[in-house]
Amino acid sequence: MDQQGQQGLDSPWRSAWRSRGGPAWLIAALLIGFYVDLYWFDHLEPVARALGLRSKWFLYGALYSLGMVGGAVFYLRRHGNSRYHRVRIATNVGVQVLLAWTLPFVMPLLGGTEFYPSYFWPLKYDLLLPDTLWQLPLYLSIYGLVGSLLLSPLLAFFLGKRWYCSWICGCGGLANTFGDPWRHLTSKSTASWRFEKAAIHTVLVAVVFMTAVVVLKGLVGHDHPTFAAFADGTKQVYGFLVGSVLAGVVGTGLYPLLGPRTWCRNFCPMAAILGLVQKLGRFHIRVKPDMCISCGNCSAVCEMGIDVRAYAQSNQSFTRAACVGCGMCAHVCPRGVLRLENRVTVLGDKARQGLVTLDL
Amino acid sequence: MTPPLHFVIVGNGVAGMEAAVALRAREPQAKITVVSEESDHFFSRTALMYVLAGQLRHQDTEPLERDAYARLSLERVRARAVGLDSAGRRLRLSGGQELPYDRLLLACGSRPRPAPWPGAELAGVGHFVTLQDLAWLEAELHGGPSRGGPPPRPDAHLERSAPDSPYQPRPVAARRRGHLARQAVVVGGGLIGIEVVEVMLAAGLRPHFVIREDWFWPMAIDAAEGAWITQRLAGHGVRVHLGRGVAAMEGQDGLVTGLRTDDGALLPADVVVVAIGVVPNTGWLAGAGLDLDPSGGVRVGPDLSTSAPGVFAAGDCAAVPGADGRPRVEQLWYTARDQGRIAARAMLGDPVRYERGLPYNSAKLMDIEYTTVGEVWTGPAPDAAAWEWTLVEEGRVRSSTRICGRGDQVVGFNLLGRRWDHSVLARFIEERRDLSWVVQRLPQAAFDTELVPPLRVPADRLAAARALARPPQG
Repeated sequence: MDQQGQQGLDSPWRSAWRSRGGPAWLIAALLIGFYVDLYWFDHLEPVARALGLRSKWFLYGALYSLGMVGGAVFYLRRHGNSRYHRVRIATNVGVQVLLAWTLPFVMPLLGGTEFYPSYFWPLKYDLLLPDTLWQLPLYLSIYGLVGSLLLSPLLAFFLGKRWYCSWICGCGGLANTFGDPWRHLTSKSTASWRFEKAAIHTVLVAVVFMTAVVVLKGLVGHDHPTFAAFADGTKQVYGFLVGSVLAGVVGTGLYPLLGPRTWCRNFCPMAAILGLVQKLGRFHIRVKPDMCISCGNCSAVCEMGIDVRAYAQSNQSFTRAACVGCGMCAHVCPRGVLRLENRVTVLGDKARQGLVTLDL
Repeated sequence: MTPPLHFVIVGNGVAGMEAAVALRAREPQAKITVVSEESDHFFSRTALMYVLAGQLRHQDTEPLERDAYARLSLERVRARAVGLDSAGRRLRLSGGQELPYDRLLLACGSRPRPAPWPGAELAGVGHFVTLQDLAWLEAELHGGPSRGGPPPRPDAHLERSAPDSPYQPRPVAARRRGHLARQAVVVGGGLIGIEVVEVMLAAGLRPHFVIREDWFWPMAIDAAEGAWITQRLAGHGVRVHLGRGVAAMEGQDGLVTGLRTDDGALLPADVVVVAIGVVPNTGWLAGAGLDLDPSGGVRVGPDLSTSAPGVFAAGDCAAVPGADGRPRVEQLWYTARDQGRIAARAMLGDPVRYERGLPYNSAKLMDIEYTTVGEVWTGPAPDAAAWEWTLVEEGRVRSSTRICGRGDQVVGFNLLGRRWDHSVLARFIEERRDLSWVVQRLPQAAFDTELVPPLRVPADRLAAARALARPPQG
């Protein structure tokens, strides 16, 4: 069945674990504890070895994939009537299990390199650093460079940042599966929007600065040991603050309290770049004129904190840098007012025939 | 210099608030007072079902941010309007207060049509129209508001209400009975009825759905379409009773215990929701000297002015002149919004006319999306020149596409199961296109979600469309 729209009502505000009740705080505490242990202790190493895994990171990857598969089953039981969500979630889970876990695990066993082809700079912030590029086989270095600097922005221009954030990315994938029960918790306040703009662009500047400094160190560090030490320190601080604290502890640990896209919305530098490209690109959410009843389902369900209703009720088709194109606003709209599209022309509503969508 | 005008608006629903926002945009200095008995904030009434289900918090249903009253310098009065002295330009509020006005907008909406059967006063029997109805039904089904919380100051009006107000809290049967509703009956085959049924399903109940007509919502849905909806309801566990009226609500010790249908059957019930329509909320205007139509709607001219000077009406409470000149009440979200905007301009003295244009609407009937545009009929063709063309899909997508026409022109669409851009379909009608032209260009109006297989018109239906596009000459 490919019936459109939400099938059956959801009741998040009737469940304590989905509406910041005691169980939600407990789940958050467990998640935060898990991430703290993962990043800064080694209790998981022996467990990983006992399971035949090379390191705790593969154990983490296995748990991560399991969380996504489990979350996907629940998500698709609820929203799998929509073909968009079926294809999207299946792709995302497939990428995680095959490209982000199986491939990196198997490749070294076959004499290859441990490599994560579904992650690009600046999300994978060390991908473009000289140490990484020199160590990788040439074809993977080229893949990393082209994928990060050319392919990923280009795809974002044509398809919107959703091609990555809601179809490929592991962070987005976990948010849209395991984290989906909490999507309505993302704040829609003006204050949260101001914070988002400041925070995400700060991280973007930070990652560019860090990368530049480390690359420069690779060029001249030999002659300037003080600068080399500064570059190493910069990378370490970035790795600690952004890579571990914000992406892991805050990003995932606070799912049950702040919604599943805290990292993606406020801190992910890749989302920042793709968002800027998206603003210039072809993706938009089209609003059917004069049909919105201002019910608020679209805004409530937006995991990126966009007040979708504000656009829908004023008949304004729009593109927001934050939008990851999960499609849930359009899915839950009881009047079918919203539609995700990749337009070819900018002539607006008259250009109906010129619209190109993801239709297979 | 003349002192700034005082605009008073009765009702902070979509018509009233649209007018308030439009007035403020034009008149930064004017005094604008919004009187509402029901609520502190403008909310989307059509979203009440989502609050009841726990899908939304009350705050999520508010289209404007909560600081809107302060930002727009709107004075808020939580009280019931009980009378109008149109000669003295004074609005009387419950509690004796009087509010003088220069221009008055009546945007007081609808109230539920009361149940005309014995037992309607029993605890456990109610409607689902107002915030107070929502609180009652939340208590019956769930024991209280969701974790999203109740609306702010839910009882701020109680001191200044009246016994006949639709915004009075209702007695909760569940509290006296000692358990939440386990068995439920919904009366009335319309949109509110099916919404309540859907919420009850989400709450784990298997409600009885009593519909007087032969199928659900025959005003908008034809027999074949209705059969699909009945089948869908039954598939979800709803006990649908078609063609059955209500004899009485039965009860014990003041609590409802069941509903007896007019064929003598007793449907056991802990809660009965009566959703048999709404009527203009204008009982308080009796004796005010306004021209009311038999349904209770305030008759207005094309500029939404009433028969009293300086008094205008918009939204569910207004009887606006239709295309045929006869007054009629339009109980729709978008017409109320448009009327609110027009009324604001009329109150400022602009020469404006409210013209509805081609009618359209959409809804969601359980999980079936519904769009209608233009003139459609749900029974036999209304005249000799009228015809209809139907395409039913039963593959990966289930849908029903019904196009009504007259002569060689398409006049209306009734569409279930897919999403459509009504504005494109309306253009087809306005351009007086024939059926063959329209059927071939349906993809232009498609608004399906990405990846949904597009509607395909099989050759035989296309041939039928061609035949209807060229009616026999003579």
